[in-house]
Amino acid sequence: RVSSDGKPPKFQPPPKPVIIDRKTQKEEKRFLSPEFIPPRGRTDPLKYYIERKDMIQRRKVFNIPEFYVGHVLAVTTADPYASDKSKRFVGICIQRGGNGLGATFVLRNVIEDQGVEICYELYSPRIQAIEVLKLEKRLDENLMYLRDALPEYSTFDVNMKPVPRMDHEEIPVNKLQVRMKPKPWSKRWERPKYNIKGIKFELPEHKMKAAQKWSQPWLEFDMLREYDTSKIEQKIRKELSEELEK
Amino acid sequence: MMPIWTKSGEKHAVTLLKVQDCHVLRYLSKEESGGKTAKLLVGGKNVSPFSRPESAHEIFKEAGVPRKQKVTTFNVTDDAIIKPGTPLYAAHFRPGQFVDVTAKTIGKGFQGVMKRWGFKGQPASHGQTKTHRRPGAISTNKAAKVYRGKKMPGKMGNIYRTSFGLKVWRINTKHDIIYVNGSVPGHTNCLVKVRDSKLPTYKDCNKNPPFPTFFADGDEELPEDLFDEEIFQFTDPSVTFA
Repeated sequence: RVSSDGKPPKFQPPPKPVIIDRKTQKEEKRFLSPEFIPPRGRTDPLKYYIERKDMIQRRKVFNIPEFYVGHVLAVTTADPYASDKSKRFVGICIQRGGNGLGATFVLRNVIEDQGVEICYELYSPRIQAIEVLKLEKRLDENLMYLRDALPEYSTFDVNMKPVPRMDHEEIPVNKLQVRMKPKPWSKRWERPKYNIKGIKFELPEHKMKAAQKWSQPWLEFDMLREYDTSKIEQKIRKELSEELEK
Repeated sequence: MMPIWTKSGEKHAVTLLKVQDCHVLRYLSKEESGGKTAKLLVGGKNVSPFSRPESAHEIFKEAGVPRKQKVTTFNVTDDAIIKPGTPLYAAHFRPGQFVDVTAKTIGKGFQGVMKRWGFKGQPASHGQTKTHRRPGAISTNKAAKVYRGKKMPGKMGNIYRTSFGLKVWRINTKHDIIYVNGSVPGHTNCLVKVRDSKLPTYKDCNKNPPFPTFFADGDEELPEDLFDEEIFQFTDPSVTFA
């Protein structure tokens, strides 16, 4: 190389090879159920460890499949008052809540023009089977707005056959924009606090602008609200994989 | 607090209590203590010895035990006396037993009469001048005085309270944890005193408890988890009604 000064050119070290560890990346992308991640608080981590041991015990005996909000599930529970002693309910999962053993999920369906929502506990011993009928994620993590949407978006056939899953890698995201019933709604879904992307708002422009008055743009920069779960998740994943292999 | 399910599918809420470094510190006979029964001083969680004066260390030096955060007394019959210095474990209690739990409640500071005593206050509108959360009248005309113990605003919480008759559902001998039914006074990670229940309904409840206490160096080898008969254990398959 020709240098302008007459001195030898500056030594540039060769670029460092980037090592992509595919195994750890794959492990990180694998699904970890949200109830395993402990919430932020002053509780002793021993309590979460013992709860996790119980949860793993239950998962060894009873298979709890991987599912997200937006999947269509069929749940069979034991019921002493039913004729067959068991009840089957099909519905779309609206929200997943709770931590540890008390984790719950809400299934919604419209049966004979009546909207029905049932909240089940994942680790309750009365649940006999959970089947995932249709796998699809939605744009939001909380589909409570389906209560104010047109009933066609919440109806699912009770005798639906499970849709076969194509790949073992991706779960399709349904970018459906739901149409709503006329206002008033149970919650003001157009406000930025709910951050909903799955509704087709047919409201006039000035109303959408007025709703932006309640936006709190400083919240995403608030450092006290940060809760970095990556290291906790890694530990929990390791623990889970070790225990489930036994 | 955690949920627990019975074999019939009902859910109960349960509090986890950890037995952390409990040792018997001193024995006081009936005459010494001046009560109806003999007393045993028991110390709780270990704490650094540098924050208190040397004079307070005597009890702990006698028993040969590190400094404890809390020291409580238990009334004990003469045949249940334990030598000072023995450690106490969670296996002292058995599932199916009933227990009283005492602790200092969460301190709420200086509180008004509505929160502290549950008074109804006054309406928010209809002409009320500057009076919405006040106690109103404090005595009658004839009394011409305010009685002692009148409910008034003051410091609320941070006092010892007991929940009686709590069932013990499960005991973890490896980590020394007692699973006690329902809620317990105090904030998370606070020190708590657990005692056999003195309610008359549960007087004859204990079937062969470890007497005087559970000794770890004895011959008995307990399994890691002790469950009550009615608990649904997660190793069993799901509940079905026949």
